[in-house]
Amino acid sequence: MEFAANITLSALLQQVLVGLSRTTILFIVASGLSLILGVLRIPNVAHGSLYMIGAFLTYTFATLVGQSALWFWLALIVAPLGVALLSFVFERGLFCHLYEREHMMLLLFTFAFSLVIGDMVKLIWGSDYRSLTAPLFLQGSFSISGFPFPRYNLFLLIVGPLVAAGLWFLTNKTKIGKIARAAAVDREMVGAIGINVSWIFAAVFVIGCYLAGLGGALVAPTQNITQGMDHAIIIEAFLIVIIGGLGNIWGALLGALIFGLTDSIGILVLPQFAIVFPYMAVVIVLTFRPKGLLKSTW
Amino acid sequence: MKTFTWICVTLAMALVLITAPAQAAKAIKIGIVDCYSGPPAAYTNDVRDAFKLEVDKINAAGGILGRKIEVLTRDSKFKVDLGLSAAKELIYRENVDIMMGTINSALALAISDMCKKEKVPFFVTFSKSAKITGAKGHRYVFSITENTALAGKAAAAGLAKKPYKKYWIAGDDYEYGHAIADGVWDNLKKLRPDVELLGQSWWKVGEPDFTPYITAILSAKPDAVIVATGGRDCVPFLKAAKATGFNERVPFFMHTATELATLKPLGLDAPENVLGTSNYFFYYPETDANKSFVKKFETAYSRKPAVGAVYGLLAAKFIFGAYKKAGKVDTEKFIDNVEGMSVDSPVGKVTMRAYDHQAMLPMFMGVTKKVAGYDFLIATDIVTVPGKDVMPSIEEIKKARKQ
Repeated sequence: MEFAANITLSALLQQVLVGLSRTTILFIVASGLSLILGVLRIPNVAHGSLYMIGAFLTYTFATLVGQSALWFWLALIVAPLGVALLSFVFERGLFCHLYEREHMMLLLFTFAFSLVIGDMVKLIWGSDYRSLTAPLFLQGSFSISGFPFPRYNLFLLIVGPLVAAGLWFLTNKTKIGKIARAAAVDREMVGAIGINVSWIFAAVFVIGCYLAGLGGALVAPTQNITQGMDHAIIIEAFLIVIIGGLGNIWGALLGALIFGLTDSIGILVLPQFAIVFPYMAVVIVLTFRPKGLLKSTW
Repeated sequence: MKTFTWICVTLAMALVLITAPAQAAKAIKIGIVDCYSGPPAAYTNDVRDAFKLEVDKINAAGGILGRKIEVLTRDSKFKVDLGLSAAKELIYRENVDIMMGTINSALALAISDMCKKEKVPFFVTFSKSAKITGAKGHRYVFSITENTALAGKAAAAGLAKKPYKKYWIAGDDYEYGHAIADGVWDNLKKLRPDVELLGQSWWKVGEPDFTPYITAILSAKPDAVIVATGGRDCVPFLKAAKATGFNERVPFFMHTATELATLKPLGLDAPENVLGTSNYFFYYPETDANKSFVKKFETAYSRKPAVGAVYGLLAAKFIFGAYKKAGKVDTEKFIDNVEGMSVDSPVGKVTMRAYDHQAMLPMFMGVTKKVAGYDFLIATDIVTVPGKDVMPSIEEIKKARKQ
């Protein structure tokens, strides 16, 4: 076992900040998954694939007319909308007909969807990986107490709370949010008082998938945009949703925090086994709170 | 009705059998199993394309020993089970004469094992595990790519000349990552017993965010870092290095950092002053052999050749050269002729060492720099390490194979 030579306070602070920016992406993706899980009661296995499409779409839009800042921002807006549109078409066209059927069918359907998307991406974009660079003013890094902190990570640190606030507003203050929360708890009752539950499901599904696309769009400049992205993120997202509490968006935030921070601090403390830390945290949480940290909606 | 159905089925089957393509003079079949999807395809496409270029040339001149050459490719999707079943299909159903592949070391070792049992010569392209011609080498496997032992020795030779004492090792937590790190470190320690290892960081293959690792390494303040990333993570790591200014704060070495396939996707955003080792540059050495090779490849495929193209060319030259020398398509005679054979290539004369079936490729060590005229970084201050200087000794191979 080797411990890092200097675990100074500034290094720790640095790792916390980096971990928090990772948390942003994880939270955005996991909250979408949690939303769909809570209201529709199905684990959306295609969530990772939609995240991947969000990243690829962002790449395509941002490099359409050469790489410029304007197109990047446009891509950040358009790509998640594209993913939302795709999920809407899928939902209304194929998915909604299965709501009356057995639960397993829906799960298998999302799995099929993820496989189709996976190959679709390969067909449209080819198998090479893509590299996208952030606009100039988001490139490079600040020096925080001697350590480099990439500007793009700071951008993510700002976006994260904004999305969280937006989600809170959506679920607590808007009509559709309140209906969705009600449908999560008791869908029969919601149907009984005359609200079209099917359309609620559609809305929630589309919003959840929009979040997946947004996560993919935001992560695009920081890593390789490749075919394996969907598998990597879906496992993490599911783990976060499970430890946070099924269907609970604040649980997703808590889970993402745990995941992101244990990852980055673990890297500083025990870099040889850094990969293990977040999963160890998951095991610990599930040992003591098998139903998740916060209350689930079921 | 039932009789009618049976008549239709029989007719359909007969039709299928009749329309099955008639066999011409039996072609020499070469089977290539490799990963043609995802990031590795950037490397493997060159191997297949350069190989096909040579095959087309030979077929246009009438084939070899009066027979045409047929190339069959299969996509392993970087999965060992898929690759193995593709190899089985090629060997048992298609009865290929030679097997080639693959960028996945685990799959290469598995196919090597199969080819040993089936006595089919297997030419390994790209897989860098030293076990292929080392511990697990045998009569039917040949390697025309450098492996972690060769690369490690070349890298150590270059690093030993630098003033760095305190090192940090970081890389992909899988066989290749550890193998290349061990290859570099063990050889470096032999040449410079005074070097010190401060610590190691290992991340999962496909790690999306290197920033926390980079800051952790910086806080340890090493003199230099050995970065052991595999094909998939080289580009993202270099990207992260540029974004965090890692390359400006501490010098680091990465095998294949100077290769075209690594630097091209990054364009002018790649980090400068990164030390790297590589097998091939299309711009160096500026020999006629290299220039004509680059021209031929570019004319056919509208892109500059990367190192995979040289592997494809070498495979073609060894395979077809040996068949010609042997005079007939006989496996044992073929192998006898490949052993010790020398072929001309864009990197000079390359010999296939008879004892372990490892091609003696030269290694080039260089530093990434922006140079006018290219829209990606290239290697400068290139030092050539000749093939015979980086090969493990025959005693080392004997020991590894327990012979």
